[in-house]
Amino acid sequence: MKTFFKALGNVFKKPVTTKYPFEQTFIPDDYRGLIGFDENLCIWCRRCEMVCPPGAIVFSQDMEGKQTYHFNRAVCIYCGECVRACPKEGAIFQTAEPAPCALKAENINNGWNKLFDEALASREAYAAEKKRKAAEKAAADKAAAAKKEEENKTGN
Amino acid sequence: MGRQYEIPIGAQHISLLEPLHFKFTTENEKIVATEANVYYVHRGIEQACCSKFKFRQVSFVVGRVCGLCSISHTTAYSQVAEKLLKIEIPLRAKYLRMLVIELDRIHSHLLCLSHVAENSGFEALFMKTMQYREFSMELLEAVCGNRIQYDFSIVGGVARDLKPQVAQSILERLKKFIPQLDELMDIYKNNWTLSLKNKGAGAITKEDAMRLNVVGPFARAAGLAIDVRNETEDLLPWKQVGFEMITETSGDVYARNMVRLRELYVSIRIIENIINGLPESALITETKAFPDGEATVRLEAPRGELFYYAKGNKTQILERLKIKAPTFSNVAAMAEAFTGNEYGSAPAIIASYDPCLSCTAR
Repeated sequence: MKTFFKALGNVFKKPVTTKYPFEQTFIPDDYRGLIGFDENLCIWCRRCEMVCPPGAIVFSQDMEGKQTYHFNRAVCIYCGECVRACPKEGAIFQTAEPAPCALKAENINNGWNKLFDEALASREAYAAEKKRKAAEKAAADKAAAAKKEEENKTGN
Repeated sequence: MGRQYEIPIGAQHISLLEPLHFKFTTENEKIVATEANVYYVHRGIEQACCSKFKFRQVSFVVGRVCGLCSISHTTAYSQVAEKLLKIEIPLRAKYLRMLVIELDRIHSHLLCLSHVAENSGFEALFMKTMQYREFSMELLEAVCGNRIQYDFSIVGGVARDLKPQVAQSILERLKKFIPQLDELMDIYKNNWTLSLKNKGAGAITKEDAMRLNVVGPFARAAGLAIDVRNETEDLLPWKQVGFEMITETSGDVYARNMVRLRELYVSIRIIENIINGLPESALITETKAFPDGEATVRLEAPRGELFYYAKGNKTQILERLKIKAPTFSNVAAMAEAFTGNEYGSAPAIIASYDPCLSCTAR
Protein backbone atom coordinates (compact mmCIF):
# COMPACT_ATOMS: atom_id res chain seq x y z
CA MET A 1 0.00 0.00 0.00
CA LYS A 2 2.88 2.33 0.87
CA THR A 3 4.41 1.64 -2.55
CA PHE A 4 1.09 2.37 -4.24
CA PHE A 5 0.80 5.82 -2.68
CA LYS A 6 4.44 6.56 -3.44
CA ALA A 7 3.89 5.58 -7.06
CA LEU A 8 0.78 7.77 -7.16
CA GLY A 9 2.74 10.70 -5.76
CA ASN A 10 5.09 10.49 -8.74
CA VAL A 11 2.31 11.84 -10.96
CA PHE A 12 2.88 15.28 -9.46
CA LYS A 13 6.67 15.24 -9.69
CA LYS A 14 8.88 16.38 -12.54
CA PRO A 15 10.08 13.63 -14.88
CA VAL A 16 13.51 12.21 -14.05
CA THR A 17 14.41 11.72 -17.69
CA THR A 18 16.30 14.30 -19.76
CA LYS A 19 14.26 16.12 -22.38
CA TYR A 20 16.82 15.31 -25.00
CA PRO A 21 16.50 17.60 -28.01
CA PHE A 22 15.94 20.61 -25.74
CA GLU A 23 18.42 19.60 -23.04
CA GLN A 24 21.87 18.13 -23.56
CA THR A 25 22.31 14.62 -22.17
CA PHE A 26 25.22 13.68 -19.94
CA ILE A 27 28.51 13.63 -21.87
CA PRO A 28 31.73 13.20 -19.85
CA ASP A 29 34.80 15.33 -20.58
CA ASP A 30 36.77 12.46 -22.06
CA TYR A 31 33.96 10.93 -24.05
CA ARG A 32 35.15 8.61 -26.80
CA GLY A 33 34.16 10.70 -29.80
CA LEU A 34 35.27 11.38 -33.34
CA ILE A 35 38.83 10.57 -34.42
CA GLY A 36 40.82 13.59 -35.61
CA PHE A 37 43.80 13.58 -37.95
CA ASP A 38 46.64 16.06 -38.48
CA GLU A 39 48.19 15.72 -41.91
CA ASN A 40 51.21 17.88 -41.07
CA LEU A 41 52.32 15.65 -38.18
CA CYS A 42 51.64 12.26 -39.77
CA ILE A 43 54.67 10.22 -40.75
CA TRP A 44 52.55 7.92 -43.00
CA CYS A 45 53.51 4.66 -41.31
CA ARG A 46 49.92 3.30 -41.66
CA ARG A 47 50.08 1.72 -38.21
CA CYS A 48 46.61 3.06 -37.34
CA GLU A 49 45.20 1.32 -40.39
CA MET A 50 46.87 -1.95 -39.38
CA VAL A 51 45.51 -2.01 -35.81
CA CYS A 52 41.98 -0.68 -36.50
CA PRO A 53 39.59 -3.54 -35.55
CA PRO A 54 36.68 -2.70 -37.91
CA GLY A 55 38.82 -1.20 -40.70
CA ALA A 56 37.52 2.35 -40.46
CA ILE A 57 40.82 3.93 -41.56
CA VAL A 58 42.43 3.47 -44.95
CA PHE A 59 45.19 5.31 -46.83
CA SER A 60 45.10 5.73 -50.58
CA GLN A 61 48.13 6.65 -52.66
CA ASP A 62 48.49 8.49 -55.94
CA MET A 63 51.12 7.80 -58.56
CA GLU A 64 53.55 10.36 -57.12
CA GLY A 65 53.50 8.46 -53.80
CA LYS A 66 51.45 11.01 -51.87
CA GLN A 67 49.11 9.31 -49.36
CA THR A 68 45.62 10.47 -48.37
CA TYR A 69 43.84 9.57 -45.12
CA HIS A 70 40.24 8.30 -45.23
CA PHE A 71 38.08 7.74 -42.15
CA ASN A 72 34.53 6.40 -41.86
CA ARG A 73 32.70 7.51 -38.73
CA ALA A 74 29.94 4.93 -39.25
CA VAL A 75 32.34 1.98 -39.30
CA CYS A 76 34.53 3.28 -36.44
CA ILE A 77 33.88 1.78 -32.99
CA TYR A 78 35.75 4.64 -31.20
CA CYS A 79 37.98 2.26 -29.25
CA GLY A 80 41.04 4.53 -29.54
CA GLU A 81 43.33 1.71 -30.64
CA CYS A 82 44.70 3.88 -33.50
CA VAL A 83 45.60 6.65 -31.02
CA ARG A 84 47.48 4.18 -28.82
CA ALA A 85 49.32 2.70 -31.81
CA CYS A 86 50.41 6.04 -33.30
CA PRO A 87 54.19 6.57 -32.91
CA LYS A 88 53.93 10.34 -33.53
CA GLU A 89 51.96 12.02 -30.78
CA GLY A 90 49.13 14.25 -32.01
CA ALA A 91 49.00 12.97 -35.56
CA ILE A 92 45.84 11.00 -34.80
CA PHE A 93 43.75 11.90 -31.76
CA GLN A 94 40.34 11.33 -30.19
CA THR A 95 37.98 14.26 -29.62
CA ALA A 96 35.00 14.38 -27.21
CA GLU A 97 32.62 15.26 -30.03
CA PRO A 98 29.89 12.65 -30.74
CA ALA A 99 29.65 11.50 -34.34
CA PRO A 100 26.83 13.07 -36.38
CA CYS A 101 24.24 10.85 -38.07
CA ALA A 102 24.98 9.57 -41.55
CA LEU A 103 22.83 10.84 -44.42
CA LYS A 104 21.62 8.79 -47.32
CA ALA A 105 23.37 11.12 -49.75
CA GLU A 106 26.72 10.22 -48.21
CA ASN A 107 26.31 6.56 -49.27
CA ILE A 108 28.35 5.67 -46.24
CA ASN A 109 28.30 1.86 -46.52
CA ASN A 110 28.59 1.01 -50.21
CA GLY A 111 30.59 4.13 -50.92
CA TRP A 112 33.04 3.22 -48.19
CA ASN A 113 33.44 -0.37 -49.41
CA LYS A 114 34.20 0.94 -52.89
CA LEU A 115 36.61 3.55 -51.55
CA PHE A 116 38.35 0.95 -49.39
CA ASP A 117 38.96 -1.36 -52.36
CA GLU A 118 40.04 1.54 -54.55
CA ALA A 119 42.49 2.74 -51.89
CA LEU A 120 44.09 -0.69 -51.64
CA ALA A 121 44.21 -0.95 -55.44
CA SER A 122 45.82 2.50 -55.72
CA ARG A 123 48.54 1.44 -53.28
CA GLU A 124 49.15 -1.75 -55.20
CA ALA A 125 49.33 0.21 -58.45
CA TYR A 126 51.86 2.59 -56.92
CA ALA A 127 53.93 -0.32 -55.58
CA ALA A 128 53.84 -2.02 -59.00
CA GLU A 129 54.80 1.22 -60.72
CA LYS A 130 57.66 1.70 -58.25
CA LYS A 131 58.83 -1.86 -58.84
CA ARG A 132 58.65 -1.37 -62.61
CA LYS A 133 60.63 1.86 -62.39
CA ALA A 134 63.21 0.22 -60.13
CA ALA A 135 63.53 -2.70 -62.56
CA GLU A 136 63.85 -0.27 -65.48
CA LYS A 137 66.50 1.68 -63.62
CA ALA A 138 68.34 -1.50 -62.70
CA ALA A 139 68.23 -2.65 -66.35
CA ALA A 140 69.49 0.74 -67.51
CA ASP A 141 72.26 0.64 -64.93
CA LYS A 142 73.18 -2.85 -66.02
CA ALA A 143 73.23 -1.85 -69.67
CA ALA A 144 75.33 1.19 -68.84
CA ALA A 145 77.73 -0.95 -66.82
CA ALA A 146 77.98 -3.49 -69.66
CA LYS A 147 78.60 -0.72 -72.18
CA LYS A 148 81.29 0.77 -69.99
CA GLU A 149 82.94 -2.61 -69.64
CA GLU A 150 82.85 -3.09 -73.40
CA GLU A 151 84.34 0.36 -73.91
CA ASN A 152 87.07 -0.53 -71.45
CA LYS A 153 87.69 -3.78 -73.34
CA THR A 154 87.88 -2.04 -76.72
CA GLY A 155 90.05 0.65 -75.19
CA ASN A 156 92.54 -1.98 -74.11
CA MET B 1 -5.54 -36.91 -15.28
CA GLY B 2 -6.52 -33.82 -17.24
CA ARG B 3 -5.86 -33.15 -20.88
CA GLN B 4 -2.42 -31.93 -21.74
CA TYR B 5 -1.78 -28.86 -23.85
CA GLU B 6 1.44 -27.68 -25.41
CA ILE B 7 2.03 -23.95 -25.20
CA PRO B 8 5.02 -22.42 -26.96
CA ILE B 9 6.63 -19.21 -25.74
CA GLY B 10 9.22 -17.54 -27.94
CA ALA B 11 11.41 -17.26 -29.93
CA GLN B 12 9.70 -13.89 -30.25
CA HIS B 13 7.32 -13.06 -27.46
CA ILE B 14 6.14 -9.94 -25.74
CA SER B 15 7.46 -10.93 -22.33
CA LEU B 16 10.73 -12.36 -23.60
CA LEU B 17 13.61 -10.06 -24.30
CA GLU B 18 15.77 -12.72 -25.78
CA PRO B 19 15.36 -15.08 -28.74
CA LEU B 20 14.68 -18.12 -26.62
CA HIS B 21 12.04 -20.77 -27.21
CA PHE B 22 10.29 -22.74 -24.48
CA LYS B 23 7.67 -25.36 -25.18
CA PHE B 24 5.55 -26.00 -22.09
CA THR B 25 3.41 -29.08 -21.65
CA THR B 26 0.64 -27.94 -19.34
CA GLU B 27 -2.07 -29.75 -17.47
CA ASN B 28 -4.79 -27.48 -16.06
CA GLU B 29 -2.47 -24.46 -16.09
CA LYS B 30 0.25 -26.45 -14.31
CA ILE B 31 3.48 -26.94 -16.22
CA VAL B 32 4.44 -30.61 -16.26
CA ALA B 33 7.30 -30.60 -18.76
CA THR B 34 9.41 -28.03 -20.56
CA GLU B 35 11.57 -28.13 -23.61
CA ALA B 36 14.12 -25.37 -24.18
CA ASN B 37 15.53 -24.31 -27.50
CA VAL B 38 18.36 -21.80 -27.86
CA TYR B 39 20.66 -20.83 -30.74
CA TYR B 40 18.38 -18.53 -32.73
CA VAL B 41 20.96 -15.77 -33.10
CA HIS B 42 24.15 -17.45 -34.23
CA ARG B 43 26.54 -14.74 -35.42
CA GLY B 44 29.71 -16.74 -35.99
CA ILE B 45 31.85 -14.62 -33.69
CA GLU B 46 34.22 -17.46 -32.75
CA GLN B 47 34.98 -18.14 -36.39
CA ALA B 48 35.51 -14.43 -37.07
CA CYS B 49 37.94 -14.22 -34.12
CA CYS B 50 39.98 -17.11 -35.56
CA SER B 51 40.07 -15.93 -39.17
CA LYS B 52 39.47 -12.24 -39.77
CA PHE B 53 40.82 -10.43 -36.72
CA LYS B 54 44.30 -10.23 -35.23
CA PHE B 55 44.64 -11.32 -31.62
CA ARG B 56 44.86 -7.74 -30.32
CA GLN B 57 41.69 -6.78 -32.18
CA VAL B 58 39.75 -9.78 -30.86
CA SER B 59 39.28 -8.13 -27.45
CA PHE B 60 37.08 -5.53 -29.17
CA VAL B 61 35.19 -8.18 -31.13
CA VAL B 62 34.31 -10.31 -28.10
CA GLY B 63 33.10 -7.16 -26.32
CA ARG B 64 30.28 -7.18 -28.87
CA VAL B 65 29.21 -10.71 -27.86
CA CYS B 66 27.01 -9.27 -25.13
CA GLY B 67 25.82 -5.75 -24.52
CA LEU B 68 25.36 -6.16 -20.79
CA CYS B 69 28.47 -8.03 -19.72
CA SER B 70 30.74 -6.51 -22.37
CA ILE B 71 33.51 -5.86 -19.86
CA SER B 72 33.44 -9.46 -18.58
CA HIS B 73 33.99 -10.80 -22.09
CA THR B 74 36.76 -8.32 -22.90
CA THR B 75 38.51 -8.95 -19.59
CA ALA B 76 38.25 -12.73 -19.90
CA TYR B 77 39.68 -12.61 -23.42
CA SER B 78 42.44 -10.22 -22.38
CA GLN B 79 43.39 -12.57 -19.55
CA VAL B 80 43.47 -15.62 -21.78
CA ALA B 81 45.60 -13.75 -24.34
CA GLU B 82 47.95 -12.60 -21.57
CA LYS B 83 48.33 -16.23 -20.52
CA LEU B 84 49.23 -17.17 -24.10
CA LEU B 85 51.73 -14.30 -24.28
CA LYS B 86 53.03 -15.22 -20.80
CA ILE B 87 52.95 -11.66 -19.44
CA GLU B 88 51.89 -10.25 -16.08
CA ILE B 89 49.79 -7.08 -16.12
CA PRO B 90 50.35 -4.12 -13.75
CA LEU B 91 48.48 -4.10 -10.44
CA ARG B 92 46.64 -0.85 -11.19
CA ALA B 93 45.24 -2.38 -14.39
CA LYS B 94 43.92 -5.34 -12.36
CA TYR B 95 42.19 -3.02 -9.90
CA LEU B 96 40.66 -0.90 -12.66
CA ARG B 97 39.35 -4.02 -14.38
CA MET B 98 37.70 -5.11 -11.14
CA LEU B 99 36.20 -1.63 -10.71
CA VAL B 100 34.52 -1.68 -14.11
CA ILE B 101 33.35 -5.29 -13.70
CA GLU B 102 31.64 -4.37 -10.42
CA LEU B 103 30.04 -1.21 -11.86
CA ASP B 104 28.81 -3.40 -14.71
CA ARG B 105 27.41 -5.90 -12.22
CA ILE B 106 25.40 -3.14 -10.55
CA HIS B 107 23.70 -2.11 -13.77
CA SER B 108 23.18 -5.68 -14.96
CA HIS B 109 21.60 -6.86 -11.69
CA LEU B 110 19.33 -3.81 -11.53
CA LEU B 111 18.20 -4.46 -15.11
CA CYS B 112 17.36 -8.06 -14.25
CA LEU B 113 15.46 -7.02 -11.11
CA SER B 114 13.47 -4.46 -13.07
CA HIS B 115 12.46 -7.08 -15.62
CA VAL B 116 11.37 -9.47 -12.90
CA ALA B 117 9.15 -6.68 -11.55
CA GLU B 118 7.78 -5.93 -15.00
CA ASN B 119 7.04 -9.55 -15.84
CA SER B 120 5.37 -10.00 -12.47
CA GLY B 121 3.01 -7.20 -13.47
CA PHE B 122 4.57 -4.44 -11.37
CA GLU B 123 5.27 -1.67 -13.89
CA ALA B 124 5.85 1.09 -11.33
CA LEU B 125 8.65 -0.88 -9.69
CA PHE B 126 10.14 -1.53 -13.13
CA MET B 127 10.29 2.23 -13.73
CA LYS B 128 11.72 2.88 -10.29
CA THR B 129 14.47 0.29 -10.65
CA MET B 130 15.39 1.60 -14.10
CA GLN B 131 15.51 5.14 -12.72
CA TYR B 132 17.93 4.09 -9.98
CA ARG B 133 19.99 2.14 -12.51
CA GLU B 134 20.76 5.23 -14.57
CA PHE B 135 23.55 6.44 -12.25
CA SER B 136 25.62 3.33 -12.93
CA MET B 137 25.37 3.88 -16.69
CA GLU B 138 26.58 7.46 -16.30
CA LEU B 139 29.45 6.36 -14.08
CA LEU B 140 30.48 3.73 -16.63
CA GLU B 141 30.35 6.40 -19.31
CA ALA B 142 32.55 8.67 -17.23
CA VAL B 143 35.07 5.87 -16.56
CA CYS B 144 35.14 4.19 -19.99
CA GLY B 145 33.92 6.96 -22.31
CA ASN B 146 30.95 4.99 -23.59
CA ARG B 147 27.66 3.80 -22.14
CA ILE B 148 27.47 0.29 -23.52
CA GLN B 149 30.57 -0.97 -25.30
CA TYR B 150 33.30 -0.17 -22.82
CA ASP B 151 36.39 -1.43 -24.71
CA PHE B 152 38.19 -0.94 -21.41
CA SER B 153 40.37 -4.03 -21.12
CA ILE B 154 42.94 -4.52 -23.84
CA VAL B 155 45.57 -7.23 -24.18
CA GLY B 156 48.26 -6.27 -21.66
CA GLY B 157 46.30 -3.94 -19.42
CA VAL B 158 43.57 -1.31 -19.59
CA ALA B 159 42.92 1.40 -22.16
CA ARG B 160 42.23 4.37 -19.90
CA ASP B 161 43.19 5.65 -16.48
CA LEU B 162 40.76 6.61 -13.73
CA LYS B 163 40.75 10.37 -13.23
CA PRO B 164 40.69 11.63 -9.62
CA GLN B 165 37.52 13.70 -10.14
CA VAL B 166 35.75 10.70 -11.71
CA ALA B 167 36.79 8.55 -8.74
CA GLN B 168 35.40 11.22 -6.43
CA SER B 169 32.10 11.36 -8.32
CA ILE B 170 31.79 7.55 -8.15
CA LEU B 171 32.09 7.64 -4.36
CA GLU B 172 29.54 10.46 -4.10
CA ARG B 173 27.02 8.79 -6.39
CA LEU B 174 27.38 5.46 -4.57
CA LYS B 175 26.69 7.22 -1.27
CA LYS B 176 23.49 8.58 -2.81
CA PHE B 177 22.58 5.17 -4.20
CA ILE B 178 22.70 3.28 -0.89
CA PRO B 179 19.39 4.71 0.50
CA GLN B 180 17.77 4.06 -2.89
CA LEU B 181 18.98 0.47 -2.75
CA ASP B 182 17.59 0.14 0.79
CA GLU B 183 14.24 1.30 -0.58
CA LEU B 184 14.35 -1.26 -3.41
CA MET B 185 15.36 -3.97 -0.94
CA ASP B 186 12.37 -3.08 1.20
CA ILE B 187 9.96 -3.30 -1.74
CA TYR B 188 11.33 -6.55 -3.19
CA LYS B 189 11.46 -8.12 0.27
CA ASN B 190 8.21 -7.02 1.88
CA ASN B 191 5.75 -6.15 -0.88
CA TRP B 192 2.84 -8.52 -0.57
CA THR B 193 1.65 -8.30 -4.18
CA LEU B 194 5.08 -9.06 -5.54
CA SER B 195 5.50 -11.97 -3.14
CA LEU B 196 2.43 -13.67 -4.62
CA LYS B 197 4.22 -13.95 -7.96
CA ASN B 198 7.70 -14.50 -6.64
CA LYS B 199 7.67 -16.61 -3.50
CA GLY B 200 7.80 -20.30 -4.30
CA ALA B 201 7.83 -19.76 -8.06
CA GLY B 202 10.48 -21.42 -10.18
CA ALA B 203 12.09 -23.13 -7.21
CA ILE B 204 15.02 -25.47 -7.62
CA THR B 205 16.63 -27.55 -4.91
CA LYS B 206 20.30 -27.49 -4.00
CA GLU B 207 20.77 -31.10 -5.17
CA ASP B 208 19.19 -30.36 -8.55
CA ALA B 209 21.27 -27.22 -8.91
CA MET B 210 24.41 -29.22 -8.27
CA ARG B 211 23.37 -32.03 -10.62
CA LEU B 212 22.54 -29.63 -13.47
CA ASN B 213 25.71 -27.50 -13.14
CA VAL B 214 23.96 -24.23 -12.35
CA VAL B 215 26.14 -21.13 -12.04
CA GLY B 216 25.79 -17.55 -10.94
CA PRO B 217 22.99 -15.99 -8.88
CA PHE B 218 20.71 -18.85 -9.97
CA ALA B 219 22.93 -21.34 -8.11
CA ARG B 220 23.60 -19.05 -5.15
CA ALA B 221 19.86 -18.59 -4.64
CA ALA B 222 19.53 -22.36 -4.27
CA GLY B 223 22.21 -22.40 -1.58
CA LEU B 224 25.08 -23.54 -3.77
CA ALA B 225 28.10 -21.43 -2.82
CA ILE B 226 29.63 -21.16 -6.29
CA ASP B 227 31.46 -18.03 -7.38
CA VAL B 228 34.67 -17.72 -9.37
CA ARG B 229 35.60 -14.63 -7.37
CA ASN B 230 35.84 -16.89 -4.34
CA GLU B 231 38.00 -19.50 -6.06
CA THR B 232 40.65 -17.80 -8.16
CA GLU B 233 43.08 -15.27 -6.82
CA ASP B 234 45.85 -15.29 -9.42
CA LEU B 235 44.29 -13.11 -12.14
CA LEU B 236 42.19 -10.63 -10.18
CA PRO B 237 42.64 -10.23 -6.40
CA TRP B 238 38.96 -10.30 -5.39
CA LYS B 239 39.43 -11.23 -1.74
CA GLN B 240 41.81 -8.30 -1.17
CA VAL B 241 39.04 -5.87 -2.07
CA GLY B 242 36.45 -7.40 0.23
CA PHE B 243 34.53 -10.01 -1.72
CA GLU B 244 31.89 -11.85 0.25
CA MET B 245 29.79 -14.86 -0.80
CA ILE B 246 26.02 -14.32 -0.81
CA THR B 247 23.71 -17.33 -0.68
CA GLU B 248 20.01 -17.92 -0.06
CA THR B 249 18.31 -21.23 0.56
CA SER B 250 14.85 -21.36 -1.03
CA GLY B 251 15.96 -21.22 -4.70
CA ASP B 252 12.82 -19.45 -5.99
CA VAL B 253 12.37 -16.12 -7.80
CA TYR B 254 12.26 -14.29 -4.48
CA ALA B 255 15.61 -15.82 -3.43
CA ARG B 256 17.19 -14.80 -6.74
CA ASN B 257 15.99 -11.23 -6.24
CA MET B 258 17.46 -11.24 -2.75
CA VAL B 259 20.80 -12.64 -3.94
CA ARG B 260 21.04 -9.93 -6.61
CA LEU B 261 20.09 -7.13 -4.22
CA ARG B 262 22.49 -8.29 -1.53
CA GLU B 263 25.27 -8.68 -4.11
CA LEU B 264 24.80 -5.02 -4.97
CA TYR B 265 25.86 -4.09 -1.42
CA VAL B 266 28.97 -6.25 -1.86
CA SER B 267 29.69 -4.60 -5.23
CA ILE B 268 29.37 -1.15 -3.70
CA ARG B 269 31.80 -2.10 -0.94
CA ILE B 270 34.27 -3.55 -3.46
CA ILE B 271 34.14 -0.36 -5.56
CA GLU B 272 34.73 1.83 -2.51
CA ASN B 273 37.66 -0.34 -1.43
CA ILE B 274 39.18 -0.26 -4.92
CA ILE B 275 38.97 3.53 -5.20
CA ASN B 276 40.32 4.11 -1.71
CA GLY B 277 43.24 1.74 -2.18
CA LEU B 278 44.05 2.14 -5.86
CA PRO B 279 47.77 1.27 -6.31
CA GLU B 280 50.04 3.46 -8.44
CA SER B 281 51.66 1.72 -11.37
CA ALA B 282 51.73 1.64 -15.15
CA LEU B 283 48.54 0.77 -17.02
CA ILE B 284 49.83 -1.59 -19.65
CA THR B 285 52.55 -4.19 -20.19
CA GLU B 286 54.01 -3.87 -23.66
CA THR B 287 55.15 -6.99 -25.46
CA LYS B 288 56.01 -7.98 -28.99
CA ALA B 289 55.42 -11.71 -28.45
CA PHE B 290 52.86 -13.76 -30.33
CA PRO B 291 50.31 -16.05 -28.65
CA ASP B 292 51.50 -19.60 -28.32
CA GLY B 293 50.09 -22.70 -26.63
CA GLU B 294 46.74 -23.21 -24.95
CA ALA B 295 45.08 -21.47 -22.02
CA THR B 296 41.75 -21.29 -20.21
CA VAL B 297 40.28 -18.55 -18.05
CA ARG B 298 37.24 -18.41 -15.77
CA LEU B 299 35.66 -15.14 -14.73
CA GLU B 300 32.54 -14.26 -12.76
CA ALA B 301 30.26 -12.32 -15.10
CA PRO B 302 27.02 -10.86 -13.66
CA ARG B 303 25.16 -14.01 -14.77
CA GLY B 304 27.70 -16.54 -13.58
CA GLU B 305 30.87 -18.23 -14.64
CA LEU B 306 32.27 -17.19 -18.01
CA PHE B 307 34.78 -19.56 -19.60
CA TYR B 308 37.32 -18.79 -22.32
CA TYR B 309 39.63 -21.17 -24.10
CA ALA B 310 42.19 -20.03 -26.65
CA LYS B 311 44.89 -21.69 -28.69
CA GLY B 312 47.66 -19.80 -30.45
CA ASN B 313 50.17 -20.85 -33.08
CA LYS B 314 52.79 -18.05 -32.95
CA THR B 315 50.98 -15.96 -35.58
CA GLN B 316 48.77 -12.87 -35.40
CA ILE B 317 45.61 -14.96 -35.87
CA LEU B 318 44.43 -17.33 -33.12
CA GLU B 319 43.92 -20.97 -34.02
CA ARG B 320 40.86 -21.49 -31.82
CA LEU B 321 38.76 -19.41 -29.44
CA LYS B 322 35.97 -20.99 -27.43
CA ILE B 323 33.50 -18.96 -25.40
CA LYS B 324 31.16 -20.62 -22.92
CA ALA B 325 28.64 -18.13 -21.60
CA PRO B 326 26.98 -18.56 -18.17
CA THR B 327 23.46 -18.89 -19.58
CA PHE B 328 24.50 -21.98 -21.54
CA SER B 329 25.26 -23.78 -18.27
CA ASN B 330 21.88 -22.77 -16.89
CA VAL B 331 19.60 -23.83 -19.77
CA ALA B 332 19.10 -27.39 -18.48
CA ALA B 333 18.16 -26.16 -15.02
CA MET B 334 15.90 -23.47 -16.49
CA ALA B 335 13.74 -26.13 -18.14
CA GLU B 336 13.74 -28.17 -14.92
CA ALA B 337 12.71 -25.33 -12.61
CA PHE B 338 9.42 -24.65 -14.41
CA THR B 339 7.92 -28.01 -13.43
CA GLY B 340 5.00 -27.70 -11.05
CA ASN B 341 4.47 -23.98 -11.51
CA GLU B 342 1.49 -22.12 -12.90
CA TYR B 343 1.80 -21.16 -16.53
CA GLY B 344 0.95 -17.57 -15.57
CA SER B 345 4.13 -17.16 -13.53
CA ALA B 346 6.37 -18.38 -16.37
CA PRO B 347 7.35 -14.85 -17.60
CA ALA B 348 8.51 -13.80 -14.14
CA ILE B 349 10.48 -17.02 -13.78
CA ILE B 350 12.16 -16.54 -17.16
CA ALA B 351 13.13 -12.97 -16.26
CA SER B 352 14.55 -14.14 -12.94
CA TYR B 353 16.94 -16.52 -14.74
CA ASP B 354 18.41 -13.40 -16.35
CA PRO B 355 18.98 -15.25 -19.63
CA CYS B 356 21.46 -13.79 -22.08
CA LEU B 357 20.97 -15.73 -25.28
CA SER B 358 23.11 -13.45 -27.39
CA CYS B 359 26.07 -14.57 -25.31
CA THR B 360 25.01 -18.20 -25.50
CA ALA B 361 24.53 -18.38 -29.26
CA ARG B 362 27.23 -15.82 -30.17
